[in-house]
Amino acid sequence: MPFLEDIDIAFIEPCVTDPGRVRLYAEPSRDLAEVLPYLNAVINHATYNKDGPSLTFMKEFRLITIYPRRITMSKVQNTTDAWQVLDWLKDLINDTYDRRGSITPVHGVRWRPTALQIYGWLPRTNCKACGEPTCLAFAVKLLLGERTPQECEPLFFPEHASLRRAFFEIVAAFGYPAPPGT
Amino acid sequence: MTDSTERWGKSVCVPGDEDREQERGSGGGLAGSMADVGIYMDNAATSFPKPEAVIEAMADFMRNVGASSGRGAYRKALEADKIVFRARQAVARLLGVADVSRVVFTANATESLNLAIKGLLSPGDHVVTTSMEHNAVWRPLKAVERTRGVTISQAPCAHDGTLDPADMEALLRPNTRLIVMTHASNVTGTVMPVAEAAAIARARGIPLLVDCAQTAGVHPIDIERLGLDLVAFTGHKGLMGPTGMGGLYIRGGLDLVPLKDGGTGGDSMLEHQPEWLPDRFEAGTLNVCGIAGLGAGVRFVLEEGVERIREKEAGLLRRLLDGLSEIPGLEVYGPRDPARQVAVVSLNVRGVPAEEVASRLDREYGIMVRAGLHCAPCAHRTIGTIQRGAVRISLGYFNTEGDVDRCVEALAGIARAAG
Repeated sequence: MPFLEDIDIAFIEPCVTDPGRVRLYAEPSRDLAEVLPYLNAVINHATYNKDGPSLTFMKEFRLITIYPRRITMSKVQNTTDAWQVLDWLKDLINDTYDRRGSITPVHGVRWRPTALQIYGWLPRTNCKACGEPTCLAFAVKLLLGERTPQECEPLFFPEHASLRRAFFEIVAAFGYPAPPGT
Repeated sequence: MTDSTERWGKSVCVPGDEDREQERGSGGGLAGSMADVGIYMDNAATSFPKPEAVIEAMADFMRNVGASSGRGAYRKALEADKIVFRARQAVARLLGVADVSRVVFTANATESLNLAIKGLLSPGDHVVTTSMEHNAVWRPLKAVERTRGVTISQAPCAHDGTLDPADMEALLRPNTRLIVMTHASNVTGTVMPVAEAAAIARARGIPLLVDCAQTAGVHPIDIERLGLDLVAFTGHKGLMGPTGMGGLYIRGGLDLVPLKDGGTGGDSMLEHQPEWLPDRFEAGTLNVCGIAGLGAGVRFVLEEGVERIREKEAGLLRRLLDGLSEIPGLEVYGPRDPARQVAVVSLNVRGVPAEEVASRLDREYGIMVRAGLHCAPCAHRTIGTIQRGAVRISLGYFNTEGDVDRCVEALAGIARAAG
């Protein structure tokens, strides 16, 4: 029997900010309070509020907040997308719960660099190769978990080796492992 | 029992219907008893009987849910959403698709093929297909030939329906925009070299559309491993669902022009069809009752296992082919090899029209098969039966060895009488 058997969508409506997308809330079949600090440790870019408690993070373009008895999601493409992400989340929660013995729970808010700080450790070429208009925009997306360091091509140019090492020391703090050979 | 025994015909040895039902084995319960209807061997048209779970899922939806999916925030509407998602997810799992949203529901394989063909081809495009296709492929191609000036090349297949992929490759041109082929012929059962065709298509960057009407649920299909671009399937054959349900897999990054535009639910502010799947191709209220049945059918197939289903059908097919080979005066078409075909066999009894054979099988022996051209004149031209058609026997997972034996005996009787 898994820790969490089901998550059911309880309410769905068009997004306030984006009429092409939907927001919803869903109800887990059991209380999630005890697993939140473990999820906080596992989801690298999450923000944890222990007084709520609640855990907020981005899954690509979707904003997800987990409360003990409720999960909210906004900017979801459609119900198919919602169910698919909720299935992924259920598996993540069950996997995290199963592995909790080997995970150090994080009860506090982790230190996170600001977008400007990350920007400072990027090559700042504004090359647009990552798909973002500027390096600052890339830094913001990185913080939100919508981009990965590997998408910054110039960062991996030989001339940026020392910058790259410093960059990965910093981003390791919010969970991105440095690629081999960095 | 007396009634049904009479229906089998006096000349055929008929064990008790109870024994036959036991032999049939359902592995999950059957809706309706075959004893009530005779021996059904038209599974290439529609599978019968259906797993009991299919009827239960549809009845439960009609009785207890009833709402449209994607059209409301109340719990029953959300329940309908979930039924639709779980069915889509089951299909994706069965066909080897990771992203559930790439599976789009349609009314049948024909609609799926129309969506793919008409949604992709533009004036001046060239398309390559085979000489074994069903009209569900051939007619949409002829339509875009007439309306859009699309040109068509047909790769010739052998008399047993087999295709040499090199013959298909030789037809490709710089403006070839699509390759369309069946996965298995609905006339001869011949399984086509889809993996080889996919490799050829991939090397040239040409999308490959596969018609899986005869294979989904009865023959393994691993869409992402094979790298297929477009896969049309129907819900009421090997997937064990009701009629009026089908679908199309569309590879990520491949866009089609929707066949229909209209309401899709929550994104009403948009003036055009949304770009994201599956909504882009699912305008209008969905057949949620049908989807509930399809979902239950696919879950049944997943639980039984496609390999097990294929193994059982191959065993029955072997028995049928062996039996037919003993009957003088029969012409049997196709590969006559269970390893190279699904459980579909076409044949003729020398000197007896196909329609008469089918009619006598039904009236005198209670065996249901289909005669004629099976909506596939291309295939009948290829195997040499375009003038006379053929009798098609298509076995299903719920047929028994006893059914097969009675069919062989019946055909032997008809052939002997024609003598």
